[in-house]
Amino acid sequence: MPDEKQLEGKQPNDFDRRAFFVKLGLGSLSIAAAGTAVFGYQFLSPNVLYEPSPIINAGKPEAYPLDSVTLDVNSGIYIMHSSEGFFSVAAVCTHLGCLTAWKPELGIIACPCHGSKFKRSGEKIEGPAPRPLPWYRVWLSDDGDLMVDRSTPIRSMQFLRV
Amino acid sequence: MATAANYFDQLRKTRVWRSIFRSGTGASTLHRSLVIQQDVFLHLFPTKVRRRMLNVGVTWYLGTMTFGTFLILVSTGILLMLYYHPSVPQAYSDTKDLQFVVTSGLFLRNLHRWSAHAMVFLVFAHMFKVFYRGAYRPPREFNWVIGVILLLITLLLSYTGYLLPWDQLAYWAITVGSNIASAVPVVGDKVHFLLLGGNLVNANALLRFYVLHCMILPLTAIFFIAIHFWRIRKDGGLYAPPPAEPQRAKEGQ
Amino acid sequence: MSDSKDFVAGVDSNAKREPRRVVFVTRRTSAQVRVADEEVIQTFPEGLFRAAVAIEILAIVLVWIALLFNAPLEGLADPSHTPNPAKAPWYFLGLQEMLHYFPPVVAGVLAPTLVVIALIVIPYFNINIEAEGVFVKDRSRRLPVFYAVASALLLFLTIFRVYVALIPTLIMIALMLVAAWSSPGSASGARRYLASKPLSFWIMTWFLFELLVLTAVGTFFRGPGWSWVWPWRT
Repeated sequence: MPDEKQLEGKQPNDFDRRAFFVKLGLGSLSIAAAGTAVFGYQFLSPNVLYEPSPIINAGKPEAYPLDSVTLDVNSGIYIMHSSEGFFSVAAVCTHLGCLTAWKPELGIIACPCHGSKFKRSGEKIEGPAPRPLPWYRVWLSDDGDLMVDRSTPIRSMQFLRV
Repeated sequence: MATAANYFDQLRKTRVWRSIFRSGTGASTLHRSLVIQQDVFLHLFPTKVRRRMLNVGVTWYLGTMTFGTFLILVSTGILLMLYYHPSVPQAYSDTKDLQFVVTSGLFLRNLHRWSAHAMVFLVFAHMFKVFYRGAYRPPREFNWVIGVILLLITLLLSYTGYLLPWDQLAYWAITVGSNIASAVPVVGDKVHFLLLGGNLVNANALLRFYVLHCMILPLTAIFFIAIHFWRIRKDGGLYAPPPAEPQRAKEGQ
Repeated sequence: MSDSKDFVAGVDSNAKREPRRVVFVTRRTSAQVRVADEEVIQTFPEGLFRAAVAIEILAIVLVWIALLFNAPLEGLADPSHTPNPAKAPWYFLGLQEMLHYFPPVVAGVLAPTLVVIALIVIPYFNINIEAEGVFVKDRSRRLPVFYAVASALLLFLTIFRVYVALIPTLIMIALMLVAAWSSPGSASGARRYLASKPLSFWIMTWFLFELLVLTAVGTFFRGPGWSWVWPWRT
């Protein structure tokens, strides 16, 4: 029990042993909890994914005639050959991830889920999609195959001349 | 018959019986109260309830029936788990097996599916009935909040279970749903990645949804159901407007 | 007695306690004061057995349905082919219908979050606990607020062309107008009923109505590409 002398000499910043150990204990517990949270998040976030590679080999450029729009369902991209060159646009609707379809009779790309419609260039015509369909980088491999990188969208209107 | 009743009475006097059912048996109010009070599960309930509350017209027994569908879902769910492998594409074959090959498999799957729909419907109906009865008012506010949490758990259970058959219906419903999750500002994409265990709805997603649906969410539901029942008792039992003044019973709500 | 009484009085139910206590509960906010002693029965066996019967009847109905109707199962999941239309289970169709009008952030995240928060806070607002007709007290102040909110909501729905949500809203506003121009002393029973409804009743009923309409539209009136279809024409 603190006697009179101790109480008198108390400064505002003083705290006794009990308070010190309480602070120490709570502090360590918080650090432990924070550490657990971080490790927990890292555990839940997988480091290895068994998913197909985002680099797609689309075959020879000759397979895509002029003014064609080809949907590759397995990789979710369109490969298009226009007068300006080759380019690739995502086939996955930017609204909620449904696979779109090319409608040649209407000349548009349409999404079955909520009715979004896009031009060939990926620009949105109508519908609830918030963004135009992203463009993907297209290049020619050493073997002369068309390659598409689906991982990162690029600025639109960049064509590959072959 | 008389001898069977005698035999049962004799049974109840044995040491073994008395060791299991410590409070003894009998038809007195004391014994009947002890049945509730001495049982670890049943003592969530009070030993006495207001007679008026047991009329069908008061609560329509919606809460009871929601719990009933939950019990059906847990039992059919556990049985279905015995024939289901949460891998791709085996999950689909297993669902087909359950429907065509496993004895009573079709029945169990149907019962599980329709009970799930019934539970979602009943939980909404229960919420609206509690609201329109005014049974959310103090001191029962927190139990109402627990009820909202249970509503969310029910919807999550239904959503995670929806993916498990791995058919077209399941796959695209979950694709759209998880893309909505990525619409959450700031953390949306991370949440999407954690939920699916990847960027696409594939084997990782199926396994995570399976663990959520069969383990994490049911345990959470049981935890909150227990609190929900406990709070009914602690807040003074099922709510009914006081019967003393007829005009007060009619107005309001 | 007089309806202007603002409290409930009760006497301590235990007659043996001395001195006896008198309780005044103002504004009828607490359900803890027992005005009268009610008949009680044992949970076991009567209470539990009634619950068991209710669950048994439910089980019989569900078993019967399970024997008659098969749960749906479509083809194997195919990431390269999106079915048209791709519909969520029925309890999410209301949300999916809203996704048609608003971006996913609003319809998928904001709206459900606001709904959940609104549900949670219902019992913490006094206006819900008192359960008086919304236009009975303070009418001169509440009526303009009602007009403002109703107009804002109608304007919002019209601008975004959410016609399916507009119709229930118009109906509810019409009913509230009838309530505003009725009173507990009105001639017809219907008008007395409407006049006695508190704000929480109106908001919740509007929500229930919208839920039913949006789910029904999503189920029956939406076809391929989420286009509008008349169900009797397919």
